[in-house]
Amino acid sequence: MQPSTRSCQSLSVWGAGLFLFAASTAIAASPEHQERHFTVQGHPVVVLQNVVNGRIEVKSWKNSEVVVSSTSAKDKVAIDMEQVGDRIDIAATSTVAAGQPHEVEANFQLTVPEHTELQLKTQTGLIYVEQVTGDMKLESIAGDVHLKEVSGYIIVKTTGGSFVCTLCSGKLEFTSVSGSAQLLQPSFTNVNLMTTSGNILYDGDFLRTGIYTMKSGKGLVEVRFSGNDSFDLQAKTYSGTVDNQAAQFMQPEQHTSRHGNKFTRYLNRTVGLGFAKVEISTYSGTIRILKRD
Amino acid sequence: MHCKELESVFETEGLGQLSKDARLHLATCGACQGLVADLNSITEAAKSIPAEVNPPDRIWISLRAQLEAEGLIKEPVEVSEKASWWESFAVAWKPRAFATVIAAALVMAAAVYVRRVPQDGVSDVAKKQTPVENARPAQTQVAAVPPVATPPTNTAPAQGAAPSKTKELAPSPSESASFTLNQAELDVPNMQLAGNSQVDAALRQNLRTLNAFIAECELRLKQNPQDELAREYLYTAYQQKADLLAAMMESGRGEN
Repeated sequence: MQPSTRSCQSLSVWGAGLFLFAASTAIAASPEHQERHFTVQGHPVVVLQNVVNGRIEVKSWKNSEVVVSSTSAKDKVAIDMEQVGDRIDIAATSTVAAGQPHEVEANFQLTVPEHTELQLKTQTGLIYVEQVTGDMKLESIAGDVHLKEVSGYIIVKTTGGSFVCTLCSGKLEFTSVSGSAQLLQPSFTNVNLMTTSGNILYDGDFLRTGIYTMKSGKGLVEVRFSGNDSFDLQAKTYSGTVDNQAAQFMQPEQHTSRHGNKFTRYLNRTVGLGFAKVEISTYSGTIRILKRD
Repeated sequence: MHCKELESVFETEGLGQLSKDARLHLATCGACQGLVADLNSITEAAKSIPAEVNPPDRIWISLRAQLEAEGLIKEPVEVSEKASWWESFAVAWKPRAFATVIAAALVMAAAVYVRRVPQDGVSDVAKKQTPVENARPAQTQVAAVPPVATPPTNTAPAQGAAPSKTKELAPSPSESASFTLNQAELDVPNMQLAGNSQVDAALRQNLRTLNAFIAECELRLKQNPQDELAREYLYTAYQQKADLLAAMMESGRGEN
């Protein structure tokens, strides 16, 4: 056999070997996708606890079925799903040995009946919920929470993640250490927002008899109300500032005799007939009141 | 043997080994055969029910704090000469007692919020009292606060104070909460968190944020004990810190 022919054969063998190695590596690193369907009746409850990085997306449909699609790193994440009656429990945990650092991901897409109750908990990654009308409790450490067109009793707790709620209604509680909250075009009857160092933006109407409490330790609290709103406003701060850019639309508060003390700067005003109650405070941040055009 | 007798056998001895009489009756009685079939299916179904999972410690913490705040449970702790404070904390820093420590911190924080008794000022209640009542020694007013597990203080007894079993002036609930949380935090540098750099960084960064804010509020309250806004924010920050420490503990344990 000629030397050139032999070298060609050798090259072919090496090439094939390299190809197989690359292919096997790609297969091992490829994400694992799984999809499960759960038939439900009555009042479905979905509980998802994601202990690794990743995104959770929830959308609704008219079917009485919950569909859970997940994508995760193969052999690095264990995903357990279980149904008991109308309750579905999902858990994603890392299979990396204890004490070893892990940055693995598990992403979830849920499709649920509209009135499903949700309890979602994640470490990082976005939680996104759209058009679900059941009560929900959403918890995150570093991930953001975005809601769109949801209603019910909504509880959101983050450590550092921010919260955006668009066209939401019902009752809302939000607490965070450094996360911010934005409520855009809301229709809540009861709102309780608290963040230590994040900002708060409320851009929408205050419903009659509604109670709205917004507190930020060091951040900006901005409220943009409409000309049709009717509420009593109490704004207070210790060392921050109250920037009232809508003073011409307000009159001195008429329903309580509570006023500031020597330690706190107070602003008590009434807009319209004062049907709703709005309490805003910041320890050392800024309170800004605006009227939308 | 009759059907009722066989039922009582099932109740007392189960479905395992039946006596000869019981087996004879069972072989001929359709109703009892149906009962056995039902019991077997229940047993099989029970096996498929998932075992109960212990709820995380923070559930107990929140529950306990809520019950304490509502006055439904009380756990008075007296400062006795038998158990020194360092012995109490030696027990407290054992991992299993960690959650209890945080619960205590929450309870004390709740006490701060509910009672709003300034540590060295005059309380809202005291302000409404007559001048004669206000003339009582300050220590008497502080002593009205329920006893809590307290860190040692170097505060000397006020003059004219009546001798009591608690030899030292008890610190205010906010001091106790702060002390307890700070002690709990001492374990954080050694605590193995989630093993996930993003999560670990977020937890530690937010703990620093809370500490800075707590320090600011505490300083403010020392200067002006009657500042309700500072007290309100301090209470909330204590609660958030307790939650955060509990989350850190849970995060670390989840990996083990």
